[in-house]
Amino acid sequence: MTAEGGELRWMGEQAVVTVPAEIDTINAGEVRQALLAASHDATVLIIDMSGTTFCDSAGVQAIIDTYNQAAATHTQLRLVATAVLRILTLVGVDQLIPIYPTLEAALAGTPAAAASTRDPDDPE
Amino acid sequence: MAPRQAGDSAVEVGGVEVAAPVSRAALEDRLRDIQSITDAALSRLDDRDLLAELLERTRAVLLADTAAVLLLDFSSGHLIATAAAGLEEEVRQGVRIPVGRGFAGRIAAEHKPVILDHVDHSTVLNPILWAKGIRALMGVPLIAGGKVIGVLHVGSLTPREFTSEDLELLQLAADRAATAVASLTAQEDRVAAEALQRSLLPSTLPVAGGAEMSVRYVPGEGRVGGDWYDVFTLPSGQLCIVIGDVTGSGLPAAVIMGRMRSALRAYALETADPAEVLARLDAKMQHFEPGALATVLYAVFDPGLDRVRICSAGHYPPVIASPGRPAEQADVPPGLLIGAVPGVRRRVVTVGISPGTLLCFYTDGLIERRDQRIDHGLARLCRAVKAEPPDTACVTVMGALVGSEPVPDDIALLIFRRQP
Repeated sequence: MTAEGGELRWMGEQAVVTVPAEIDTINAGEVRQALLAASHDATVLIIDMSGTTFCDSAGVQAIIDTYNQAAATHTQLRLVATAVLRILTLVGVDQLIPIYPTLEAALAGTPAAAASTRDPDDPE
Repeated sequence: MAPRQAGDSAVEVGGVEVAAPVSRAALEDRLRDIQSITDAALSRLDDRDLLAELLERTRAVLLADTAAVLLLDFSSGHLIATAAAGLEEEVRQGVRIPVGRGFAGRIAAEHKPVILDHVDHSTVLNPILWAKGIRALMGVPLIAGGKVIGVLHVGSLTPREFTSEDLELLQLAADRAATAVASLTAQEDRVAAEALQRSLLPSTLPVAGGAEMSVRYVPGEGRVGGDWYDVFTLPSGQLCIVIGDVTGSGLPAAVIMGRMRSALRAYALETADPAEVLARLDAKMQHFEPGALATVLYAVFDPGLDRVRICSAGHYPPVIASPGRPAEQADVPPGLLIGAVPGVRRRVVTVGISPGTLLCFYTDGLIERRDQRIDHGLARLCRAVKAEPPDTACVTVMGALVGSEPVPDDIALLIFRRQP
């Protein structure tokens, strides 16, 4: 599913939302909606920011809001970031959500209890 | 009688519907009516006068007895009577109508015009309207930027059936009014935010023995945001520097910034531990301003200025420069933003300061550029910062990092130096 706020894909039970290259006041609301909707349905939600090069405080707010909803629905969150890693670390997002350097690492980063026999690359 | 929706107002003659005869005189009248509402001369009035004049003209053109504008207060979800002609008591009594209820409330909720041929307490919530003897009402939503921002309605003291032509004219007036209101609101918010910001940012910095300071504040693209700095001394003689950035911009961000500034000062009097001050500020924000996020850096200098204790809630660490040595970012442990999640543990770092050492505190607008990585902006800042007098250092830093570029985001810059 493609939306302005992020593209949602399912990797087994893991939902991956790829968010836009630049996140600011203009599109942070849509990013927030895309993340909240996905976190509502998923047991594991991976926020893929590997292609994101700019994320301002409105973008950080979208992530924090997602974290707070995910905490309430017991959805496990993971994040992929490279260019925006510094800002996410600065504001302490890494203290809330584990951040991985690649999507593969995030997909594999499942704790033992949650690891299923399902192939994580299986699109179904 | 059920209210009529717009568009079904053909003229009835003896039970037979006929098209209204269109004479040349009628056309000219109508053109004059439209001209009266769209008159360019109206633009020369300021927005508030324009609204009053527009209501007068609308009332005259439609041969109506009353005309009123109610504006939506987004925080309460009520329509509030703001301007009126022939119905001034509505404004004077501060009439408030919940969206979704009554005549005006329905127009706002459904984004559609409503015409009422019979006015009584079952169709109209506001007793002023039926007590005044209004017999028929016609109202349209005011829409700006795709959102309903209010309602414009006209009323008749004699029985009347408003026609589709009446409705078109009212819609025209509503478009005009919506533009004026949107511009008025934006202006008022900007003026209020700027006044608030001016009143909150210290214009003169406190004099603390041996400390030299200089500041710069630049609103982003002419629009005030939520950046702030504060400098104060405690009864113990400690000097405190605060720098922060509330997410968002304009009046809402400036209001939250003002509340945070006061709260932080109060907690600073209660406890000497910077982490505890930020923890209390965080708890206060979580409770009273849910949803608000802010970065804050709080630094407490010993009375002798030998060392500073720093705690960061998601804010960039200061850049520190000692005489004869390259500047570097102070090693401050990152901490979660204020307002993110409850009960965060925060860490404090102590940094020694020798005479002549300079600390540069700033907000993200100084170093973040959309087309560059943050590391690049940080490196530029470190190259620009030298242990020189703070006034000179501010000029150097702003020259190197901003130059003559337009500033996309607010910039607050506060430079401290211990006298050499």
